[in-house]
Amino acid sequence: MKKAILISLMSILIAAGVAAADSIKIAITGPFSGGSAPMGVSMRDGAKLAIAEINGAGGVQVGDRKIKFEIIERDDEAKNERGALIAQELASMSDLSGVIGTVNTGVALAGDRYLQEKGVTKIITPAAGSATMTQWVTAGVTDLSMFRFAAPDGIQSAMVVEEAINRNLTKVAIIHDSTNYGVSGRDDLLNQIKAQGSKLQVVAVEKFNIGDKDMTAQLVRAKSAGAQAILIWGIGPELAAVANGMAKLGMKEPLIGGWTLSMSNFLDNAGASGDGTLMPQTFIEEPITPRARKFIEAYHAAYNVPRIPSPVSAAQGYDAVLLFAAAVKQAGSTDTRKIKEALEDLKDPVHGVIATWQKPFNKWDPANELTHEAFHRAQVVMGMVKGGRVVFGNDADRQRLMKEGQ
Amino acid sequence: MTPVMFAQLAVSGALMGFVYALVAYGFQLTYATSRTINFGQGELVMVSAFCSLSLTNAGLPYWLMVPGGLLIGALLGLFVERAGVRLALEQKSEGWILLSIIIGLFFFSASENIWGRDDRPFPTPIPSAAVQVLGVSVTPYEISVAIGVLAIMGLIELFRRGTLLGKAFEAVSVDRDAAELMGISATRTVMLSYGLSGLSAAVAGILVSPITTVGPTMGSALVLKAFAVAVVAGLDSGFGVVVVGLLLGALESLTSFFIGSGWREAPGLVLLILALAVRPTGIFGKSVIRKV
Repeated sequence: MKKAILISLMSILIAAGVAAADSIKIAITGPFSGGSAPMGVSMRDGAKLAIAEINGAGGVQVGDRKIKFEIIERDDEAKNERGALIAQELASMSDLSGVIGTVNTGVALAGDRYLQEKGVTKIITPAAGSATMTQWVTAGVTDLSMFRFAAPDGIQSAMVVEEAINRNLTKVAIIHDSTNYGVSGRDDLLNQIKAQGSKLQVVAVEKFNIGDKDMTAQLVRAKSAGAQAILIWGIGPELAAVANGMAKLGMKEPLIGGWTLSMSNFLDNAGASGDGTLMPQTFIEEPITPRARKFIEAYHAAYNVPRIPSPVSAAQGYDAVLLFAAAVKQAGSTDTRKIKEALEDLKDPVHGVIATWQKPFNKWDPANELTHEAFHRAQVVMGMVKGGRVVFGNDADRQRLMKEGQ
Repeated sequence: MTPVMFAQLAVSGALMGFVYALVAYGFQLTYATSRTINFGQGELVMVSAFCSLSLTNAGLPYWLMVPGGLLIGALLGLFVERAGVRLALEQKSEGWILLSIIIGLFFFSASENIWGRDDRPFPTPIPSAAVQVLGVSVTPYEISVAIGVLAIMGLIELFRRGTLLGKAFEAVSVDRDAAELMGISATRTVMLSYGLSGLSAAVAGILVSPITTVGPTMGSALVLKAFAVAVVAGLDSGFGVVVVGLLLGALESLTSFFIGSGWREAPGLVLLILALAVRPTGIFGKSVIRKV
């Protein structure tokens, strides 16, 4: 009798194991509430749009059958400790195929090691802080299951500094928030200024905290030091407070900074004060190619919005899923380690909404984090705020992307 | 550091100080009649601001939304009095401290669920383009905050000093039992003070929101500073809060310039500790003589 129960129990367990492979379990994590929410929500919704399209077509071809995606959503609230808990939970799931997400650099730093320990494949998007990937180089990891699908701050800060130099400016002020993201952004900017020949003199370095609304003190310092531009690293609501403060003090100097200056909570809260702000972008919500048009229209229709809260995050979330699906197909398996190997060596080009991705990642080189970075300078353009939307800051970029997208 | 820059920093900070003063004034109103304060006052500011935003989104023009928002604020104040303070006062217990905190937490969770956790812009018809006054940039909006705060405080003070109902305030404040013997309902007076306190919270919410945006955490940031202002000024000094509020606002702005932006919150706490240690009745407070 006991034996019979044991056998039936075991057969249930085996059946459960088989049933799990009927779907590709993928976790989407990010802040779906709070100041970072426009990025988290757009990333999630962009990713879900891609998943809905793939599932609608029957799923991903794995071997001789098609398997659909199954989504696990987790809101990390942009809090490091929440992110660590979620990562531990995900790392303990035996049948998880992979993770897509993370907006905040601090959250990535707190949680990713749990996933890495278990070898869970993760595509990090849209967190851009340099430390997200360089931490693995510092730690000397030989086999990395973390991939980044976002323009790293290294590229972004290079573009910001370049922009200031191209405008023949000589004196700049750096203002940043006190989070991991802001502090590493400040360091990137200082390094880039050195790397590009120290043509810019940094006359003031100021910081602010999350939740600060009055930036007068920081701005008066920058202004009195004679700054010709404000280089800035922070997130939406505080960036808006800076732009509004500049308008109040009558500062006409350009505000140039990280891609977060395209977040809807910056655009809405800054209003007219935000016009002319410049930031690197991987995707601009303009239907300049057929694929971009299809994506933008599908997003607006699916979520009933006239404007994507964070177009960059949405497009990156969408393309990240396409890359992940391509890796599942190539691996012919839902096993997260096999998917990792496939991602490191994608054979077929993936037609994404940002670009056509030809072998975006390479085998991990412990000395070079760029092997797991998908974005290079060529895929990033300068965006500019105009009338509450982000447009191309440079028409040459627009023309180039239109040509490439044909 | 030019004098103009100094003035700019002081003025920018002081304008925020008006809002601290108004929230602190809300503490004083209820303290005067019942010797209680609403520790959830910040949440009243936040909920009134969110309700006003919803009224605006529903299509109400600004000048109709304002009375609507004020009414909601007053009702919320009455709710706090009925659901928390009165129960504790009837039993002559100090339970109102915890009850008002709990009601505040309830408002906080409720608004997170109703309006979400995001900071949202709050539209206003008053322009935000800066004007120069003696070299100092101020926005018409900031000036309207100053005027709004002084106006509502002035009106409430006029009411308290000039009307019969207002005199009841004073009477209950001086001696509750004697006032009852004179035919003044202490309960009604306390209710009225909570209503007015809620109303002033709503004014603070509507005035500060276009500057700080509306979010569930907006109240907690304000209330700590307002509390410091109320204690430093003294819990029964009408216009003392304005002086201390302006001073604290200016001090915060200057601190973050001279010492560093990370030290912004320090002056409020230092003032609070100093006041409690040196002059617990507040700078403008009257020392109380208790006859046993």
